[in-house]
Amino acid sequence: MVFYIISLAIVAYSWKRYFKDGDGDVAMLSVMAAAIFAAQMLNWPIPGGTSAHLVGGGLAAVILGPYGGCLAMFLNLVVQCLLMGDGGITALGANAFNMAVVAVFAGYWIYKAALSVLGEDKRALAAFLDGWIGITLAATACGVEIGLSPQFGYPLSVTVPVMAVWHFALGIIEGIVTGAVVWFLARKTPNVLYLER
Amino acid sequence: MISKRVLLTIVVLVIVSPLFGVIGAELVGYHEPLEVAAEKIGLEESEPVWSGILPDYTVPGLPDTIGYILAGFVGVGVLLMPALLRGRQK
Repeated sequence: MVFYIISLAIVAYSWKRYFKDGDGDVAMLSVMAAAIFAAQMLNWPIPGGTSAHLVGGGLAAVILGPYGGCLAMFLNLVVQCLLMGDGGITALGANAFNMAVVAVFAGYWIYKAALSVLGEDKRALAAFLDGWIGITLAATACGVEIGLSPQFGYPLSVTVPVMAVWHFALGIIEGIVTGAVVWFLARKTPNVLYLER
Repeated sequence: MISKRVLLTIVVLVIVSPLFGVIGAELVGYHEPLEVAAEKIGLEESEPVWSGILPDYTVPGLPDTIGYILAGFVGVGVLLMPALLRGRQK
């Protein structure tokens, strides 16, 4: 419940920043949200009965900026929750915090920091780090939430490493895809990238 | 402006998605990791507050693969609405 309040506050703030201060491009926002939705449907099965899918928070942040990225991800989560019953309605607050807040904002800062350290032309590498580390941080946040939840019987010392380590490994894929898409966009249509506008 | 290429990419993603989300999932006997974890510690899944209009990306009465694609288009369609409406106004 706490996460509902935090997430909604940040989403509301992002809304304000995106539409009042930024370009407030509705079309870009909705296309990005739809693209994330489609990308998240590609579950990559992993033998052993689990799977990984892309999250796309880091990518959304690079294209729309942190505020637009946060909004796009939140819209996507709302549709997944309301239409598909994917991620319970009670978990929406925490899910939004992990994916629309942590993955997007942390990813954006990492991308920006990486660009200033590595050089402006190292966008693909910066985006790789953004996707990879952003996911790992989001998963860590999820581990903390599960560990703190009285619903699950495992302590933080179990849940955090499990979520963080696995996503650290699988997040490499997210990083590669994020890097590849940004590399492609930077070459073809650099003006769709937030920092290039 | 919605670029046609982006839309095409999205459509292709949705159409191939059952390869991963349904067929691949059956191949490896996919179970939602968090649901497995909950089961292991003997947590009964309480009656969901809300299970969605298209629960777990299926359309009642249709094969999972087709349902997955349809559910995908519904989701994408809803999210694209603002862009389409805005496009028409201009």
